[in-house]
Amino acid sequence: MDVRAQIVMVFNLDKCIGCHTCSISCKNIWTDRKGAEYMWWNNVETKPGVGYPRQWEDQERFKGGWVVDGKKLKLKAMGKGPTLANMFFQPNMPKIEDYYEPFDFDYGNLAGAKEAKDQPVAEAFSQISGKKIEEIQGGPNWDDDLSGSQIYAAKDLNLKDKKVIESYDSMFMQYLPRICNHCLNPACVASCPSRALYKRGEDGIVLVDQEVCKGWRFCTSACPYKKVYFNWNTGKAEKCIFCYPRVETGQCNACAHSCVGRIRYVGVLLYDADAVEGAALKGDTELVEAHRDVILDPRDPEVCRLAKENGISDNWLEAAVASPVYALVKEFRIALPLHPEFRTVPMAYYIPSLSPVLSTWGDTHKLLEHGMIPALETLRVPIGYLASLLSAGNEEVIEETLKKLIAIRVQMRAENLGLPADPALLADAGLDEAAAKRLYRLFTVAGYNERNVIPPQQREEQDPQRRKQEAGFGILKKTRGGGK
Amino acid sequence: MLNSLIFIALPYAALALLLLVTPYRFLSNRLTWTAYSTQFLERKVLYWGINPWHYGILPILLAHILGFAFPGIFKPFLGNPETLLGVESVLLGLGIFAVLGVLLLLLRRVNSGMLKRVTFSSDWLILYLLLFQAGTGIYIGYFMRWGSQWYLHTAVPYLWSIVSFQPQIDYVADLPLVFKLHAACAFLIVAVLPFTKLVHMLYLPFDFLKDPPLLYRWRSK
Repeated sequence: MDVRAQIVMVFNLDKCIGCHTCSISCKNIWTDRKGAEYMWWNNVETKPGVGYPRQWEDQERFKGGWVVDGKKLKLKAMGKGPTLANMFFQPNMPKIEDYYEPFDFDYGNLAGAKEAKDQPVAEAFSQISGKKIEEIQGGPNWDDDLSGSQIYAAKDLNLKDKKVIESYDSMFMQYLPRICNHCLNPACVASCPSRALYKRGEDGIVLVDQEVCKGWRFCTSACPYKKVYFNWNTGKAEKCIFCYPRVETGQCNACAHSCVGRIRYVGVLLYDADAVEGAALKGDTELVEAHRDVILDPRDPEVCRLAKENGISDNWLEAAVASPVYALVKEFRIALPLHPEFRTVPMAYYIPSLSPVLSTWGDTHKLLEHGMIPALETLRVPIGYLASLLSAGNEEVIEETLKKLIAIRVQMRAENLGLPADPALLADAGLDEAAAKRLYRLFTVAGYNERNVIPPQQREEQDPQRRKQEAGFGILKKTRGGGK
Repeated sequence: MLNSLIFIALPYAALALLLLVTPYRFLSNRLTWTAYSTQFLERKVLYWGINPWHYGILPILLAHILGFAFPGIFKPFLGNPETLLGVESVLLGLGIFAVLGVLLLLLRRVNSGMLKRVTFSSDWLILYLLLFQAGTGIYIGYFMRWGSQWYLHTAVPYLWSIVSFQPQIDYVADLPLVFKLHAACAFLIVAVLPFTKLVHMLYLPFDFLKDPPLLYRWRSK
């Protein structure tokens, strides 16, 4: 057993209101630069929808992630030999149109306008070519809130029954905020011929060394989540850095910090690095369980001993015990990995959203049970849809999770109204009253320090001179490289 | 005069620039060490340009380098007329392939609005130099037959005399002008290499072939 620590984010989809505040704070800090205009290290997409970049989930097109080849994992795209042969032209790389052509508006047009009957508009121009754009063709959230659903949402690969989105009675939507998953088995790292991408041993953050990257572009398509971007100005790849300059000092990521709905939780997980490949080799339906098996219990003395042997400090172990992420992912089993079938063992987890509360009148009335809260089988969001997103198609996993979420609601609603609760409902969901209280607290009133348990890394103790030499992003003409 | 310029001044200037500027750039500004791929912005024409160019020019470049490094092996090997004819035909075909590729790459930059802001004067410079170099190469290959053989007896000993700092330009002084232009352009390309995106060819990604798929970096280890 090789115990390592990973810093992980959990998203409570039930509370995401799709306001894009996270995307904006990320953009303002990290990607407000030439060549990075189109990049959204954090983005929020509407589901059902094609997402950003369009149809990123279609691995037959982009060839991202891993596939099981007999008893081994291999990159879906190509092996090492073909990588060398495809170096000049990378066949699976997404193009700018798959994201969108970044644009800005020419406000000079307004300021310089003469007085007239009709006022001019600020014309859009491309931030790449500088030319005027007559009709903007896309944006990072072009299909927000199901807009153009017949064109976009209908192409959602997770949506088996397209009729669902054709009628107001059955239509549903939810938001999916996405950052880099900082996977345990990152395909981007494996695909890089320059070995510029690496996973940090101490906290598991996956980074691109800007000095080593030669712009071969294999990572952009190897990442099945399309979270590695090509900067057309610097000719190198960039990706979400998990706000490491903030996280290292115990601060929360910009996206999580600015989250209006407080849907994000950041904390430490301990995992067994030796078990990762085995977990990724499991069949589709066993993948979620295999993910959970890789995660280790920080209260287990044997785990703690091995963790210390591997250099994990005491304050990291304390943080692992207090980690809201551990509670949500492993202890209460309600946070699930996004598309585990891509087999990168992603380390961002999602609590599935419940369906809308239904009216007490008309056709939908018969769906109600347990007061205002719908029964599991009749939920408006098809379980198959959630299973396709979050459990590689295993509907039992989704049912177990939703059952818990519904049971907590029924329990807390009864408590609030002073009604008798049905204890069987909680027990049936595999929870008890204390667990329901804990989760309720995490979902509702938990403060900043409960939602984000981030141990500082005391990098000042580790080779301070080198630390001071390492500079951040986008600083050209550095004197010497970081790296080893 | 022209001979001294092309065959003595140019190669030494090029060599000096390559040997001094390359490490300086590597140490001082590695953030610009990339191929500056434009596939992200335009890929349709690129496909037909970049693949023929690289697959055409790399074997030819390799042939030049191997001929320079091991003339003793290739002299008897190319002594057989049938082998010589075969080698010449293949290299000529590859050369035409490469020229068409680089021509497309050049026209692509002219025509695509998206590429305007990622095209700098150094890009034009190397595209024109490479086009000229490949073009003169084909001319020599076709009109000055059996180049793969006489290259070993003229240019190779001359190049060895250059690297051993005893320049003897007699080997190449009487060759036709087109050969001299080809040589001059080659030295120019070497000279501008460390200043342009051509530096990408100095890094050959072979480490990853033997490495395990996942790479970790530890601050503490």
